[in-house]
Amino acid sequence: MNDPSARPAMRRLAAVALLAGAALLGGACRRAAAPAAPARFVFSMQTEPTTLNFVTATDAASMLVERLLSDFLVDHDRSLKIVPRLAESWDWSADHRTLTFHLRAGVRFHDGRPLTSDDVLFTYERLIDPKSKAVGRLDSFLPVESVTAPDARTVVVRYREPYAPALRTWEIPILPAHRYRGVDFETAPENRAPIGAGPYRFEAWDSGSRIVLRRNDDYWGERPAIDEFVFRFQPSLDTSLLSLLAGETDYTKITATAWGTRRQDPAFVSRYKVLTFTPLFFYYIAWRGDGSNPYFADPLVRRALGSALDREGYIRSVLQGLGSPVRDPLSLLLPGMPAVPATPPIPGKSGPAADAVAPAVPKADAGAPAGPSADAGPAGAAGASATLFDPDRAAQLLDEAGWRLDRRTGLRARGGRPFRFTLLVFAGGEDHVQFAQVAQDTLRRIGVEMRVEKLDWPALWSRLKSGQFEAALSGTSPSPDPDSLYGMLHSSQIGGGQNYAAYRDAEVDRWLEEGRRELDPARRDAVYRRIAARLDEAQPYTTLFSPSVVGVLNSHFEGAEPSPQGILGHVPGALAIRPASGGR
Amino acid sequence: MAGYAARRLLLALPTLLGISLLCFLILSVLPGDPIAARLEGGAPLSAEAEARLRAELRLDRPMMARYADWLAAAARGDLGRSLRDGRPVSAIVGDALPWTLLLNAAAVAALYAVALPLGLAQARRPRSPAARFAGAGLVAVSVVPPFVAALTLQAIVSVRLGWLPLEGTGRDAVASGFGPATLPASLLSVAAHLVLPALCLALAGWGFAARYARDAFVQALPGSAVAAARARGLRGAALLRHFAPALALPLVWLLGGLIPSLLAGSVVVEEAFSWPGIGRVMVQAVLGRDTPVAMALLLLSGTAVLAAQLLIDLIYPALDPRLRQRVPDRTSAAGAAGAPDRMHRAGGPA
Repeated sequence: MNDPSARPAMRRLAAVALLAGAALLGGACRRAAAPAAPARFVFSMQTEPTTLNFVTATDAASMLVERLLSDFLVDHDRSLKIVPRLAESWDWSADHRTLTFHLRAGVRFHDGRPLTSDDVLFTYERLIDPKSKAVGRLDSFLPVESVTAPDARTVVVRYREPYAPALRTWEIPILPAHRYRGVDFETAPENRAPIGAGPYRFEAWDSGSRIVLRRNDDYWGERPAIDEFVFRFQPSLDTSLLSLLAGETDYTKITATAWGTRRQDPAFVSRYKVLTFTPLFFYYIAWRGDGSNPYFADPLVRRALGSALDREGYIRSVLQGLGSPVRDPLSLLLPGMPAVPATPPIPGKSGPAADAVAPAVPKADAGAPAGPSADAGPAGAAGASATLFDPDRAAQLLDEAGWRLDRRTGLRARGGRPFRFTLLVFAGGEDHVQFAQVAQDTLRRIGVEMRVEKLDWPALWSRLKSGQFEAALSGTSPSPDPDSLYGMLHSSQIGGGQNYAAYRDAEVDRWLEEGRRELDPARRDAVYRRIAARLDEAQPYTTLFSPSVVGVLNSHFEGAEPSPQGILGHVPGALAIRPASGGR
Repeated sequence: MAGYAARRLLLALPTLLGISLLCFLILSVLPGDPIAARLEGGAPLSAEAEARLRAELRLDRPMMARYADWLAAAARGDLGRSLRDGRPVSAIVGDALPWTLLLNAAAVAALYAVALPLGLAQARRPRSPAARFAGAGLVAVSVVPPFVAALTLQAIVSVRLGWLPLEGTGRDAVASGFGPATLPASLLSVAAHLVLPALCLALAGWGFAARYARDAFVQALPGSAVAAARARGLRGAALLRHFAPALALPLVWLLGGLIPSLLAGSVVVEEAFSWPGIGRVMVQAVLGRDTPVAMALLLLSGTAVLAAQLLIDLIYPALDPRLRQRVPDRTSAAGAAGAPDRMHRAGGPA
């Protein structure tokens, strides 16, 4: 009876030997290839692009890869200012209804064919064609009357009426018309093996694992210093951090928790460059204010609950200081608007509010190497010394609104009805859920009971759209133009659009329409400031905070600079990354 | 035998049909629709754009009509396209399935390689402290959550010691333009990348499988039968050959239970090791209400369960002569369920 067990044992031994050999061999290969190896940069992503069709791709991962593969008509720099790219220049007609782009000469797709105005026209047609099933950019082209191409290097866009955000909507990657014309747009081979005109050409896409790009030596602009650019798909941030530590990845973002422990480690801080940035994204709570619930039709109640939420405390304790509170949606999009109110808190208060007076946004550069950690927050929110958290004021506002504390239950009530509502949150978002849990606690202290209902994204979205909720926590990534809040605020967007709070204010509607048409920057700014002031009063949404992202770069590389869209999402982006002097 | 197999296959069809209808119903009553998945990150979408998209994706049709469409296409072998990115479902599943099969086959091999010898050792010498200790150890290991096991193994074996690759499939060696990419090198690379994820998957099953194997061996090889065989002069390989069918029965039974899980991806392990398997595809499909992809995967696992049952019912008579007479009767499902009973009786070849 000893024999049967001996066999599996042998097999096991053989397997171990084989695998050990394999590992050694793998290691040896890696080492042997190192000295003369061309520059290879491995960028860790948590999600895989859905497609590399430049028109239908709307997810963040696809759009990052697109930036390297394709050339955009116009683009933006680190400060999100529009800069020329394929369009060398552009000009407006006197009536501000015609925008003319002048294309760069001598630009070629990766297959050698020239890029002309015909390709731009083709891309535009696909963007607005319902059959393309492209959702991302359709809305911004609705004001367009016509697009024409009088010659190979000119594109003329005619608008129905002046449209202030126009230029930014032409940040579009250009498709090769000769590849896509006449083929099924959704299953074209180019969707998985794209031909672009960008600084990198497509090399390989291993489903579920990685996308490999190779430098395009025929690029019209400055050639990138990296020969091979690899996007690795690592769904777990824990794994991508380990992968960075093992030297297999050159850039990844890390969690606030991981940063909290690693920032104390001198070895980590000296081996990696930390790049912090705050994306153009914010969390908000929509209070359904159409009267379908007894609480939130009253602006006093909305403002009260807004003051009762401790964003600063959450950022400090849970996010390790990695985030900025957002006072209202427009403060992120209007230069010079304070993200937190400048007025000091009411003096003579006690309790938790007193220590919230401490600097609201502790920046995360304490342990970062070589000076401040390049925070590229869009709002410049740092340095504010006031706080949005004010539970006393919240209590006062609720009293004013008639919601009085019932000593027996500890809950506020009005007309015998206790203040007890349900907040919908996205179950897949750590910040969504955690913030809701913290808020539950703080609200309880002012006599408001909040239940939390967690939903997955499609379920949450359908509840938001149909208005079947009392309050809901969600997030949004507006474009840098203040007009991108039209969907959240205009009454025409109730039901179908993004106006989940059912906010209805005829004046705000008119101002939003005015802001869309107004071309003079100063006057336009004034319009949106009026809207911001109104929102402060009405607070249909309580904006919460923008979480910051900590990116970590292997110090074998340098030149990467973050913008609100990360280290790749702008010009020069990936083109600035180069092997550190001294080499790998 | 062939007729029996054909009858079973025919019976499987309505079962699959029922599974597909049930799955479609469940997916349809989930709140929300696939358009939401295209709006990850909260990109704005006007009512007009949404209506256009809904019509284009045919989401405005009633559920039974969509099911009929799906069924008619599936009958022709067309599983449709993903509602998320328009890719053919067959391509999406085809990309992920081989990796899942490979990983789970390796995990089953690891499961057997540890559980069988240990089970045998425990069956032979139930009081041996070493066997008891190992068994207890495996039970302890099996309660470690997979993501903890994954992170620990990765941090120690890959990052600290550098013995095995951290994550990925290792096919990089195949496709990378830099450095030699020979087939053997790629295979070795993939094999090395398999070790940790397979181990993490096997970890949870070891304790159970070892106990199962011990009990099965105890029943299949009573000491008296072994002594009787020895008395007849059987030794070594001959002894083993004598007992092989009796030993094989419980193992086949165990494998039958494992086959369906070969196709099921483990989301946790796949995420921890960036393994491009079915588990993540499935989660994404359900979260994105991507009905065609989810349907294909549900049907695949349904087919696997049915196929495994059929396979076992066909193999059993081959191993156990006493069952051959009974095959044609229609107690197939009961036959599978009654298997442990038969193991008792199969014990002593006298």
